Amino acid sequence: MGGLNTSLSIGMQALDAAQGALDVTSHNIANANTPGYSEEVVQLSANSMTMSRGQVSGGGVTLDGLQGTQNQLINLQIQQQTSLQSSTNTQSASLQQMQTFFTTTGTDVASALTALSSSLVALSASPGSSVTQQSVLASGQNLAQAFNTTANGLTSAQSTADGLVTESVAQINTLTQQIGALNGQVARLTASGQSGGAVEDQLNQSVQQLSQLTGISITQSSDGETITTGSGTPLVMGDQSFSLQTTTGSDGFQQVLDFNGKDITNSIQGGQLGGAIQVRDTTVPGLLSQLNTLASQFANSFNAVQAGGIDSNGNPGQNVFTIPINLADAASGISVAITNPALIAVSSVGSPNSNGNVASLSAVLTTALPSGQTAAMAYASLVFDVGSQAANASTQSTAIGENLLQLTNQLGATSGVNINDETANLIRFQTAYEAGARIVSTIQQLYADTMNMMT
Amino acid sequence: MQINPNITPTILSDMNQSQSALNTALQQVATGLSVNVPSDNPTASAAMVQNTIDTGNVDQYQQNVNTVLSTVQSASSVLSNVVTALTQAVSLGTEGANGTNSAANMQAIAAQVQGVFSSVVSLANSSVGGTFLFGGNGTTAPYTADSSASTGYTYTGTNDVSSVAVGNSLSVQVNLPGSQVFSSSSNNVLGSLNALVTALQGGNSSAISTATAAVNSSIGFVSQQQAFYGNAENQLNSQETSLQQDTVTLASQATNLVGINLATAATNLTQAETENSAAMAAVAKVMPNTLLNYLSPPA
Repeated sequence: MGGLNTSLSIGMQALDAAQGALDVTSHNIANANTPGYSEEVVQLSANSMTMSRGQVSGGGVTLDGLQGTQNQLINLQIQQQTSLQSSTNTQSASLQQMQTFFTTTGTDVASALTALSSSLVALSASPGSSVTQQSVLASGQNLAQAFNTTANGLTSAQSTADGLVTESVAQINTLTQQIGALNGQVARLTASGQSGGAVEDQLNQSVQQLSQLTGISITQSSDGETITTGSGTPLVMGDQSFSLQTTTGSDGFQQVLDFNGKDITNSIQGGQLGGAIQVRDTTVPGLLSQLNTLASQFANSFNAVQAGGIDSNGNPGQNVFTIPINLADAASGISVAITNPALIAVSSVGSPNSNGNVASLSAVLTTALPSGQTAAMAYASLVFDVGSQAANASTQSTAIGENLLQLTNQLGATSGVNINDETANLIRFQTAYEAGARIVSTIQQLYADTMNMMT
Repeated sequence: MQINPNITPTILSDMNQSQSALNTALQQVATGLSVNVPSDNPTASAAMVQNTIDTGNVDQYQQNVNTVLSTVQSASSVLSNVVTALTQAVSLGTEGANGTNSAANMQAIAAQVQGVFSSVVSLANSSVGGTFLFGGNGTTAPYTADSSASTGYTYTGTNDVSSVAVGNSLSVQVNLPGSQVFSSSSNNVLGSLNALVTALQGGNSSAISTATAAVNSSIGFVSQQQAFYGNAENQLNSQETSLQQDTVTLASQATNLVGINLATAATNLTQAETENSAAMAAVAKVMPNTLLNYLSPPA
């Protein structure tokens, strides 16, 4: 009976293996759309068969386990590119928001400079008219407001970025805690000789999310993954996680501290956090400083020419623009000091209808400011700066997006669930299960036949 | 060959691209501009700053030219009237100097010349839009008849001249003060008229002849001054032509920088629409396709 028993147990093993394979296939199909899930493949192996005195024993199939299909190399590349893209996207979104203030809308600085320039040309023809004087004054007020609006637009983008810093740090801390815990689970599973499988997928997914928030670097060790920021501040080591902190810095913005309390704000790159810090600490201050210089130099030059002339009341011209003492507040705080249009110093000699000073006032717009550029040129280069930064960020984001799509496709090809494959497997293992069942029923029939020999 | 079984990311990326192209095309048709925000074309946006300012200035320069032109033309026609009045005074003076007039006639002629004097004073006080044409920068009527003065009048205007901006670094002098138009070291229009009145009243033929000759020489003097306004008028007219050219140049520069040809924009839109529908149709066809569709459900 030994031979039949062997066949029966082989049949049973076939049933078990087919059952296991069907489970895995179902699991794959069920998780086809689970983010970060990588396909599991059943590992089957044939048992050895031995021949002894004309009797076959052993044989059959064993389900060894499951093999994950993660591709760490591609995962790593995806994480890097994700950090880059997330940083670029954050900057791009900010710049898109900022550049609307530099678009010709009628309330922007270019429109205001245009209006001031043409109102001064009009004043040249009718220096004594209170209407043209009023129009110059109103244009001056519009220019001051345009500077205010633009500066506020920039600072508002800066505050948004600052808020994003706090938010990103909180998200990073939540994720690093999760990653620490998952790391511990994977380490325990690996130690007991099991495949990390689903936990590893989850871990990868969390690391992926972390890379959206900040640039990270990952090293594998026996304890699992060690994750640091791009500049080496530890975030996760094995099952331990290290929280980042924020504190209000001297500039009023949130600074990022590592777990020891050391300020690492300037070394953070990549990810939403890196992008936000870049916008807040580099992009906006760069643009603001250009705008402040322009506002302050223009206002000072205009005031100087005004002081050299004589107003319609016969007095030396007073300041038209008031500029805050602090250069950093120039654009946001500039205002018009006078409300009476008769105080515009149109005359150079003092007689009421003289326009001797108007040409000099006009010249403030056409001659170089101390920066070496005319007001229009200085503003134009600011427009170019904003526009090209916004265009670059968006082009870069598109390029990284293409790259990322390529990598995602590569990853999908190696570890994604292919419904067609799984369906084919389903049919294959269904047939295998049916065949195994047939073995069992055949052996059962043979037992019955053998029993019948005895009657 | 390995293929990614999950085509969703690729599809989404394609769809987003074609959607974004469609949005761009739509915006270009709607605004008629190819550059709507600085990032669309940073260089063009920067160049537009100067273009906008220049366009605003040229518009205002044209208005200045028109304003100044009417002032200059008025001044020129006033001077023509002065010449006419002076010519009349010369013929009256010539009539007074012919020695055949009775004393009563002489007084009548003197009164007529006095009338000419008054009308020339009034012409010299002409104003346009509240500005006295020959008063320098003065705000009151520059000439007053004053019998106590040796010349018979006083001038209260200033000696200032005004220049008005009519182009980038171009301004045109638009007035001459009365002190320059109506008098010089050798001529004095109102003074000579006043002297003629006095001579006619005195009845001395040779004095009348001398005074008439002086008025006659004033005619030449005023005509010379008129040439200034003629020159200014010519200069303004040619500047107006040049400003019109500037307007065209600036407008075409703006179109080149940020505008879009409507036909091109419409073609782009149609193309983007077609591409977008094609992409969506392809997605609808490909998305639901798996082997499962071809398996009959278990009986």
